[in-house]
Amino acid sequence: MVFAAKGSGDLKKEVLDRGLCTACGMCVGMCPYIKTVREKVVVIHPCGLKEGNCYKVCPRTGIDALELDRSVFGEERRDQALGVYEGIYFARAADPAVSRAGQYGGVVTALAAFAVEQGVVGGAVLSGGTVLEPRPVLAKTAQEVISCAGSKYTAVPTLAALNGGAGDSPGSIGVVGRPCQVAAVRKGQVLARRNPETRIPAAGAGLVIGLFCFWSLGPDFYSYLEEKAGGENIVRVDIPVEGLRVTTSGGERVWPVDEIRPYIREACSTCIDPTSEWADLSVGSTEYDPAWNTLVVRSDPGRRLVNSAVEKGVVELKPYPEERLPILRRAVLNKKMRVLHDPDRPRPGYLEAAGGYAGAVKTQWEVLQP
Amino acid sequence: MSIYAVALDQPGCSVVLTGNEAVARGAIEAGVAFAACYPGSPTAEVLPTLAQLGDKFNIYTEFSTNEKVAIEEAAAASFAGLRSITICKADGFNVALDFATAVCLSGTRGGMVIMVGDDPAAHSSVKEEDSRFLARTASLPVLEPASVAEAKEITRAAFELSEKIMLPVVVRCTTRICHASGDVKLGPLPAAEKKAVLTRDQRFVTSALFAQFMKNKVKSAAALAENSPFNSYTGPENAERIVIACGPSHAYALEAVDMLGLAESVGVLKVSTTWPLPENFVLKYLKPAKEVVFAEEVDSFLEDGVMTLAAKHWEEVGRVKFYGKNSGHVAGPRGAFAGELDPDVLASCLGRIFNVPYEPPSLPNTREARDLVNNNLPGRELALCAGCPHRASFWAIKTAVELDGRDAIVLGDIGCYTLGLMRTGYNILQSVHCMGAGIGLASGLGKLDRFDFRQPVITVVGDSTFFHAAPQALINARYNQSGLLCIILDNETTAMTGHQPHPGRGVDAAGRPAGRVEIEPMLAGMGIPVTVHDPYDVEGTAGVICRLLRETGPRALVLRRACALVAVKGKKKDRVYVDPEKCIGDDCGCARFCSRVFACPANIWDAGTGRARIDEAVCNGCGVCASLCPRRAIIVERTV
Repeated sequence: MVFAAKGSGDLKKEVLDRGLCTACGMCVGMCPYIKTVREKVVVIHPCGLKEGNCYKVCPRTGIDALELDRSVFGEERRDQALGVYEGIYFARAADPAVSRAGQYGGVVTALAAFAVEQGVVGGAVLSGGTVLEPRPVLAKTAQEVISCAGSKYTAVPTLAALNGGAGDSPGSIGVVGRPCQVAAVRKGQVLARRNPETRIPAAGAGLVIGLFCFWSLGPDFYSYLEEKAGGENIVRVDIPVEGLRVTTSGGERVWPVDEIRPYIREACSTCIDPTSEWADLSVGSTEYDPAWNTLVVRSDPGRRLVNSAVEKGVVELKPYPEERLPILRRAVLNKKMRVLHDPDRPRPGYLEAAGGYAGAVKTQWEVLQP
Repeated sequence: MSIYAVALDQPGCSVVLTGNEAVARGAIEAGVAFAACYPGSPTAEVLPTLAQLGDKFNIYTEFSTNEKVAIEEAAAASFAGLRSITICKADGFNVALDFATAVCLSGTRGGMVIMVGDDPAAHSSVKEEDSRFLARTASLPVLEPASVAEAKEITRAAFELSEKIMLPVVVRCTTRICHASGDVKLGPLPAAEKKAVLTRDQRFVTSALFAQFMKNKVKSAAALAENSPFNSYTGPENAERIVIACGPSHAYALEAVDMLGLAESVGVLKVSTTWPLPENFVLKYLKPAKEVVFAEEVDSFLEDGVMTLAAKHWEEVGRVKFYGKNSGHVAGPRGAFAGELDPDVLASCLGRIFNVPYEPPSLPNTREARDLVNNNLPGRELALCAGCPHRASFWAIKTAVELDGRDAIVLGDIGCYTLGLMRTGYNILQSVHCMGAGIGLASGLGKLDRFDFRQPVITVVGDSTFFHAAPQALINARYNQSGLLCIILDNETTAMTGHQPHPGRGVDAAGRPAGRVEIEPMLAGMGIPVTVHDPYDVEGTAGVICRLLRETGPRALVLRRACALVAVKGKKKDRVYVDPEKCIGDDCGCARFCSRVFACPANIWDAGTGRARIDEAVCNGCGVCASLCPRRAIIVERTV
């Protein structure tokens, strides 16, 4: 991976002004000049430096997928759809209170809380707050993790919580994030290893739990939600295949997914990683059984946490239905193909360093065509 | 400075007073009963001096919400037969002018003095303004002291003149009179009882029909000026070359003439009754003169008056050459109509006019001294004080404007926060005019949507300025539904002129408790939604501003935090220091944010250790820098 000697001015020009920012939050608060409001990241003042870590850690200024594979897992992927993984399951939190609070099976909440409780990490950064006002949280206890349960569907700049010195102690903080955030953390870790003297907040990341994410929504979605809720208190939002499901104090309602498409962030249309390929564990919906989550175990630390959680009765696993794997792979590859091989759209610049990646995706996609 | 000396009951004794104290003493000797003022530099200290002695000499003193109210109150006391004074700066006289141009027609009873401070070179003003033109517009006589001692004498005399002609009299002092100190010979203190009497048959009515009465009063002022002890002439008889001077320029003229060795041939005419002019007195020296130089500050008021006089009497005056601001001959380094005079400047001008070589005096090592200073002292800009809540507010506004991303326009006006124009306020302000002007301008911009103007509009206003000039503009914005965000930077005092109280402070001019006038209910009464926040919470404030920017119509935000200089008075300050382990110096992406960008004077860079440092002697302990440090390397130790 090449870390170009560029700074916040270039970040603004190449990423922010072009609508490529994913609001991962990695650069937010790393210095006093990059701030965020309503999930928009802005350089509020030119720092004057030609070169900055803000540019280098950005997941949209250059990603080398295969180098990240090697860096995180010590090997390159063979499966272009799911990346490196050693197991895929249906999983759910054993505690019904946790699975009720969380999304689907509540596995993210259960595993993150378990990791904090067991001291695997000293805390975890995740998206807390309410559906209408989500915010980055650095949770220090299992209880605080559980209070953040529930998917937010908008681009909360969670990684900002690693800054301000929180990430000073290497490997101490767990991260729960979207795929772009997982990529930012892993890229930051590569940079931190190459330049140990600079204090890159990503170095503080320990266990990384990645979410499945095909797109996230812009902040105008909040106004839309508020309008739809008609003044009722919004308890939960879910976007299954059939549309937008909003649970309010008054009950549950569903709107067609086409109605929320206009709110999809522009940056998400350039994303090639819907399953958090560089996380230790990736978790998503099953698109099949709402009581369960899909859990992808990718790394050894991820495997150890899951084993321990199963042993202690925190989560339950069952095999991923073999017949559903091609469906998942096709969905992922379709998304990648739309980004990498759409003749009407230039391939996003940050993937230029991807080498033979795009070709390999196309090959596997062709094989999988029914 | 020396309230004891101002109050001293020893007639004939000489004491050292400032010009402002001398005016106060003059008013006391004249038996002033009523004093009202909105503070403004250079005259801000007159009212507090009177306020301290209010009980001793039975004087009612007050800080009024603005100069118009102050002059009206002083006139009311005059109507009731009392002697009264109102004190303002030139800009303040503009505010009072509407009433001044009316009261000259209705006339006054008890002696009434309007002390106006002009600020040549604009040391503490946004502009140089010559208030004498305003006084003439209002047909009010102008007296100009030429020294601190004369400031007292002229003030006392102004009350008497006012009573004789039944018009308020303007005493125009410049900064070098107000802020200078000098020997003042004390006069007797008054013994007369002060009693307000206003009967049903007395009327004070403004009408165009009274214009001739008013002109007659001015004429009698001119007649009285012929024998004024404050006008004088120094020099040879029937001099062909004279300098006509007023105010502190008179002393400069004497010195300049002396330095040039021209005392034998050049006369200096001192005119302290600059309007209306004592025509015969001036003509006496004008007639023999062939060359006349004018020495006065700000504008060519005396010059214009004398030239008009010469034109009127051209047959007697004959050929005469005038040198002054209009001809460009009397000009300092900033030009004829800007900056101050001093003996050097005037000597250079006179030297050129009279063709006498003049070399400004220079000390043996002048150049070395200048080089030493220029090469070794860092440049210093005007800056907000350490811990100033405005700095936090401006950083929050800047943050919010950038986050909002729609190029919000940010307007301002007069107060400490005018510094928002400069680097210390992150160059955030785009307009500065007069008190309250930001709101009126914002109200106008807020109505330009039909012409495709879509940028949000912010205006900042201080708390004292809020009471002075904001309500009318805000009511207008509400009435006409103008889209603006008015941010009231409430530091709970009139900070810039020296922490004078105002209606929101809860104390009066004499320091006695007075019920606070609350800003929020005022705004609520206007129907303007108001949010209150602590500017020291920069992130929270920026968030609130971002939210308010997305709303429409007129709305207000009060950023309330006491002026840092007031807040720490008599208290142990919180200790703020940099943890040298956490601060990573130039390895941090902040690029020396605290000392270089945020730039509170207490945030300094320690070149020796390559770390940020707090200058604890300067720091007022606000802790705002600690909240902005990306490494959380600045530690605040709260004192309990």
